[in-house]
Amino acid sequence: MNDDKLTLYYYKDGLTQNERLEITNALAADAEFAARYKALCAALSQLSDAGPESIPTDMMHRFHDTIDRASNRERGSAPVKSPPMHFWSFFWGAAISAALALGIGIGVWFSGAGEVGPDSGGPYVVGVTPQVDIVPVVFQRSIQNYLRESERDITDLPLDAEADRLMLILRLIEQNRLFEKAATQNNSPDLARVLRAFEPILVRLASDDIAPEDAEALRAQLSFELNVMLTKLTRDTSDGRLSNSEST
Amino acid sequence: MKNFRKTLFILTAIICTALAPQAVAQSTDEDELKIAALEALMAAPPERALPIAAKVLASDNSDDVKERALFILSQIDSPEAHDILIRTAQENSGELREEAIRMIGIGGNSVALSQLVGLYENGDEEVREAVLEAYVIADDQEAVYVLAVEASKSGSEEDFESAVEMLGAMGAHEQLRRLRESTGISESLIEAYAISGDADSLRELALDGSDPELQEQAIEALGIVGGDAVNATLVEIYRNSDSEDIRESAVEGMMISGYDEGLLEIYRSSQDPVEKKELLEYLVIMGSDDVWDIIDSALDGGL
Repeated sequence: MNDDKLTLYYYKDGLTQNERLEITNALAADAEFAARYKALCAALSQLSDAGPESIPTDMMHRFHDTIDRASNRERGSAPVKSPPMHFWSFFWGAAISAALALGIGIGVWFSGAGEVGPDSGGPYVVGVTPQVDIVPVVFQRSIQNYLRESERDITDLPLDAEADRLMLILRLIEQNRLFEKAATQNNSPDLARVLRAFEPILVRLASDDIAPEDAEALRAQLSFELNVMLTKLTRDTSDGRLSNSEST
Repeated sequence: MKNFRKTLFILTAIICTALAPQAVAQSTDEDELKIAALEALMAAPPERALPIAAKVLASDNSDDVKERALFILSQIDSPEAHDILIRTAQENSGELREEAIRMIGIGGNSVALSQLVGLYENGDEEVREAVLEAYVIADDQEAVYVLAVEASKSGSEEDFESAVEMLGAMGAHEQLRRLRESTGISESLIEAYAISGDADSLRELALDGSDPELQEQAIEALGIVGGDAVNATLVEIYRNSDSEDIRESAVEGMMISGYDEGLLEIYRSSQDPVEKKELLEYLVIMGSDDVWDIIDSALDGGL
């Protein structure tokens, strides 16, 4: 992936939803790539701090060329279907950010702090005006997939291996936050509330002094609620109860 | 006769003990079946699901089964479903009540949410915690703000701190700023500003020397927010302050923020060996990439 694409990603400009998703996934999965992006962010941040007159001419040309190329490509390209979601690619990003949050001693949930760079909207936020009562199809598919995957993860959660359980739960919490944010921004406040309600249970489940029977009860509760939500979404989609849009 | 009674009692006890696991197992199986049925109930239209869920709740079922029925009700947007949730929260105790409160948060109905205030005022610590959690789930920042104000008025420090902490987690900048105006600044508010990422409020407090202790906390809290502007402020505070404690807080802030470049800059510009020694310790803790060059240079006798 070249720096031009990363520059556009930084400025949230000129990339399709799929391209942005691809970069987000790559950043979460590849530490070297993430470090390269961090360095680029630092450079671009300095550029914006220093004011326009201090930007080197060649860099400005390069940036303009990048914008031009992207806008030409956008004009000429047909809409592309979304690729399948790679949930496991979020694993390390999730674990690291959650561990950082724990490390600084913020023992609360739902923290929106700690996001790096200007692009913090999460990968499943579809560009829809909040006032319009439309739930985009891409988001619906993503959330159904997420609920299915989470239910599977919760069922397979190793209750006897503390470290493994903690890592998996940290990942689930991070994903849950992403989807809660996405639900809010995609006209689904009811879904956002349910996802928000999952987090305290996940936090309790991550506790190292939880009794096995309590852990089992929490796991069963989460599993039930995930399944109910999945059933509800499927029902609403097939009944046409959810007004939706193919636009991304 | 006495012996007969005793024998009968022992026999009864044995029979009960022998049958107990089977009864428990049967009950568990029954519960599992009921829970599976409730799960499937969500596929039905809400008008058909509601009376069935209500019946489960009113019948002699285990708390586990009733709690699942509560979740189904939370997903039905009708006044009747909201009423059942409120009644369950008001008329029950223990986990079932707390779960009903959580479901009111998930349901997000404003009328039902407003009923939680009464439960909060008259409830024990667990109920108050559940109500607060419900407001966070519903993202009702104003309700949490009101609880914080009331807790401050009644002098309940613990409740105030819990509410403020939640406002921080909710990113309720506006409500937190209003709280500062109405209750004055406090350690918990500073923490909440940090958690919510309100760098502007923290910067203002970090530059206000009227209460040095709170100023130090605000400076360190800036480090949690982080970012270029915050880092620049921390360096500025360090350079402009004559107070040892404030400078130390600024360094702590930079360490929390991970701004080793700033510390390096200060280290390189300093001509004071004592100051350099202290800064070097921080840089080592931070694992800065340049720290080995500095150590090398210090060992060579360079400042």
